[in-house]
Amino acid sequence: MFIINCPYCGERDQSEFSNGGEAHVARPKDPEQINDREWSEYVFVRANPKGIYYERWVHTHGCKKWFNAVRNTSTDKILKVYKLGEAPPSIKEFKNTLKSPSGEPEVGSGNFTVKKT
Amino acid sequence: MSDNKIYFKFDGKRYGGNEGDTIASALLRNNIKFVGRSFKYHRPRGIYTCGIEEPNALVQIINEHNEPNVRATVKKIYEGMVVKSQNRWPSLKRDFGSINNLLSPIFSAGFYYKTFMGPKGFWKKVYEPLIRRTAGLGKPPKEFRSKSIHIHHNVDVLIVGGGLSGLLAAKKLAGTDHDVLLIDRDDCLGGILKNTKKIKSIDNQRTNTWVEKTEWLIKNSKNIKILKNTTVTTYNFDNHLVAFEDKSVGKPPDNIKPELVLHKIRTKHTILANGHIERFISFRNNDLPGVMLAASFEKYIHKYGVVPDQNPIIFTNNSSTFSLLKSLVDLGHKPRAYVDVRDQKKIEKETLELLTKYNIPLYAKSEIEGCDGKNGVQKVSIRIKKNEIIKIKTSMLCVSGGFNPDIHLFTQSKGLIKWDDSLLTFKPDKSYQNTITLGSVSGNFSYEKLIGEINKKLSFLQGVNHLESTLDINGPKKFQIKELWETKHEKKSFWSKSFIDLQNDVTTKDLKQAILEGFNRIEHLKRFTTNSMGTDQGKISSINALGIVSKILKKNVSEVGTTIYRPPYTPVSFSAIAGRSTYEFYDPERKTPLHTWHVNNNAVFEDVGQWKRPWYFKKHTNETMHEAVQRESKQLRETAGILDGSTLGKIEIKGRDALTFINLMYTNSFTKLKPMSARYALMLGEDGMVKDDGIVCKINDQHFIATTTTGGAANVLAHMEEYAQTEWPDMNVYMNSITEQFATFNISGPKSRVIMSRVFNDIDFSNDKFPFMTFQNFNYLDTQIRILRASFTGELGYEIYIPPKYALRLWQRIFFYSRDLDLVPYGTETMHLLRAEKGYIIVGQDTDGTVTPLDLNLNWMIGKKKKDFIGKRSLTRSDIVRENRKQLVGLIPLDKTYGIEEGQHVIEKENLSTPIKKPVEMLGHVTSSYFSPTLKHSVAMALIRGGKRKIGSQLYVSTSDLNTIPVEVVETSFIDPKNERMLL
Ligand SMILES: [Zn+2]
Repeated sequence: MFIINCPYCGERDQSEFSNGGEAHVARPKDPEQINDREWSEYVFVRANPKGIYYERWVHTHGCKKWFNAVRNTSTDKILKVYKLGEAPPSIKEFKNTLKSPSGEPEVGSGNFTVKKT
Repeated sequence: MSDNKIYFKFDGKRYGGNEGDTIASALLRNNIKFVGRSFKYHRPRGIYTCGIEEPNALVQIINEHNEPNVRATVKKIYEGMVVKSQNRWPSLKRDFGSINNLLSPIFSAGFYYKTFMGPKGFWKKVYEPLIRRTAGLGKPPKEFRSKSIHIHHNVDVLIVGGGLSGLLAAKKLAGTDHDVLLIDRDDCLGGILKNTKKIKSIDNQRTNTWVEKTEWLIKNSKNIKILKNTTVTTYNFDNHLVAFEDKSVGKPPDNIKPELVLHKIRTKHTILANGHIERFISFRNNDLPGVMLAASFEKYIHKYGVVPDQNPIIFTNNSSTFSLLKSLVDLGHKPRAYVDVRDQKKIEKETLELLTKYNIPLYAKSEIEGCDGKNGVQKVSIRIKKNEIIKIKTSMLCVSGGFNPDIHLFTQSKGLIKWDDSLLTFKPDKSYQNTITLGSVSGNFSYEKLIGEINKKLSFLQGVNHLESTLDINGPKKFQIKELWETKHEKKSFWSKSFIDLQNDVTTKDLKQAILEGFNRIEHLKRFTTNSMGTDQGKISSINALGIVSKILKKNVSEVGTTIYRPPYTPVSFSAIAGRSTYEFYDPERKTPLHTWHVNNNAVFEDVGQWKRPWYFKKHTNETMHEAVQRESKQLRETAGILDGSTLGKIEIKGRDALTFINLMYTNSFTKLKPMSARYALMLGEDGMVKDDGIVCKINDQHFIATTTTGGAANVLAHMEEYAQTEWPDMNVYMNSITEQFATFNISGPKSRVIMSRVFNDIDFSNDKFPFMTFQNFNYLDTQIRILRASFTGELGYEIYIPPKYALRLWQRIFFYSRDLDLVPYGTETMHLLRAEKGYIIVGQDTDGTVTPLDLNLNWMIGKKKKDFIGKRSLTRSDIVRENRKQLVGLIPLDKTYGIEEGQHVIEKENLSTPIKKPVEMLGHVTSSYFSPTLKHSVAMALIRGGKRKIGSQLYVSTSDLNTIPVEVVETSFIDPKNERMLL
């Protein structure tokens, strides 16, 4: 139940929005000219990292506008929102909070809650 | 009765309690200690605590729709309440299930996973009925009721807990600009000030006076709102908390007013001042009625004025039990013994003085080995030296194993916790959100340091004053504790058990066994033993389990770690979550403008999404669905039928680039389509799979109207919006739903042209003037209607689009003009049958998201010359062009008297071995099947592997009685493959 700052409406409850998966996956300009592997990468393959992720959201129960957001998938913190067409912020803007090789968040739950950081 | 007593029933017997009593305090007042049986072994259980942490005393409220698992220690009584104990059959004292206690070896750790494996057939015949009879917590309510509402709050500061720390924090915030919400789960503020003797006075006032004055001050501050009887159950991201208020505390059920309120709170800062929970110690038969936590015992005295027992034995490993001792001796009661694990030198002098003064036997460096008694404590065994045990008669034993800061909410907020070696428990370490912990929840058990802590932690808030208060403390100032989780068993028998989780009947032996079996990670151990998985989430015992496990594993507790504390903090009734979203408010019902007509004409309705659609119309009360559908279908092909198609999704698309956009959205080409013409169109996903279908009408290159399936309307619009906004933002195109703007009638059958010509006598419906798949707009009364010539039945047909307010009148007019033509109203089932005869698909029935247009033999719908449309590239992927994909074919039974069942498997072999030893190769399944009244046999469609090449061959379809029937594979068009009837 986090808050999302719609670039058109302002801060609203998460329940008003829908997630649209990874952002900046452009539809190939000329699909006929690329091979099966390249096409299926566009259709099926997404990065889905644990950490900083650029993704699309739509204000379904609001202005119905699509926009982009940068979210840390391990903490669910939305770090930035920006409109379609605007240049994506550089990944360097965001501090990656991942500490361990397997990518456990600094702050987590269960066993992680007592893990020494 | 005029004695001011409140009378209620417990297991059929009438008892009187005082106003404000919980079921537990009222029962204790009547000297009832045995109140229920346990979940697995059906052992007698009593009242263990005095609050939300109660694991044992769960009861069922019969007069509140059988509400189960109500904590007797929380629920307040009212006149006429009917309470029943749980987990016993036939009665509390003679319980059949307690035989489980003797069978306990089979109920040990992991019993869910191991015990019920064999022999074959035992599950259905023996285990399941036995488990259903004897297991489970309580019985489900008989009916659903919801008298709850949801309230949203947006505040600056939320204070959870109105005890000493919460009140001081509120006092500090009173009169500032901060918008504050103070929540307490009790019906009064004060916490330990009301429940214990730990504080003598505050600011030289009696504690009760101070609480009253402070509450008055808070209430008059105008910036603080107080909610009582409200439990915060959930702490989500972005400081979103959920609290649950019981409005009906101490009142009988009310049929009008909301009884439950779910508060959804968004706050800038959360102050957790929700205190601590006492924990127990495991010893032999530590579950017997009569064993109670020490602080709970004291709470009964101060809060309810009930002394559960005048001469209990006190068993402790820490300094806090001074308070209970003092409370008892102040009332003139004398505990039979004071058993302290600690060396006499370590016991606080205040406690020793009291014991000496009142001549109470002290057993220092001693422990409770166990207790015995039938349905309650009668005798307690104290191990005073290594091998020396003495026995003392008593009916109650008060236990304190230390305190745990109540960190549930703090960990839900994703804060980090750490182990404290001096308190022997976890306490908050680092907040993740804007969370501040105050008082004992922060691990501060020293009242002397409380004011300093509050001033320090809240100083960052603007405009707050420096808080000054003097606390006069009773007894030991510093909290001291010695580690003890479990005492050693002396007796060995099935009856002798030392419990670690009272609600789920997990014993300390189960923990050891699970570790021996390799479950040495705490998360695994919890699930394998079900420790702390009850509705109480092991509030009084989960840290003890960690203590015991760490000893076995020879690790520190901080290395063992803890399991996740999950929301809700206490059980929340489903009806509170439901709020107003129940029955017709849960999911809105959508009705077409003709709904009343359908009702008056005996329609039986079907839910399609939120819509109510006529499924079929009953001609007379005894007509079955099959009879009605056969009649409607036959009639339509002979004369004509009319269907209410208003629920079909309708989307209007406009803009300079509308044509380009439509060409990209659908497989078909619309470029050469003439204005005022229509096309049956397919929409694919980018993966090439069929997503939706419908008819697209082209008014001109800048204006289209697309129809969608009834269930797909919202998705199709969203899909269009997504592409318009994200892929082609430069296109000039806009789309909107116009589903509700038009009612739609589908008239079809050989007589439909006659009917249309009579109803609209100035319109020429001849083939030349009104060819198939064209539409025209007409003025009708003072509005405009659109008529489209199209067909989903395979017969000559027309669709009329009309604004809803004119719909009923036109509908009736149509019937009036066709009174001699046998026009039959039909429902969705007949529509499905007719389209199946014709071989038309229903998206979602004959497709399932893995089916391409090629699999459906709809190659003709693909605009081959189009450079691109959504999903086009996928249609040439190697897997999509594979020959043996599942493809749609028709099936006809060889023996025409047989029916084919939808959903059955299509196989190559006739005979199935019984029992089936080897997997039978499945070619596919039947997607649609109907008995055709026109052809007088079953017609079916099926998706089968390599289906196209199998046309003409013979296959078998399984039946629900484990037989097979031979079928012939045919093309999907069963009726009029040349479309002569449609183009009539
Ligand atoms: Zn918005």
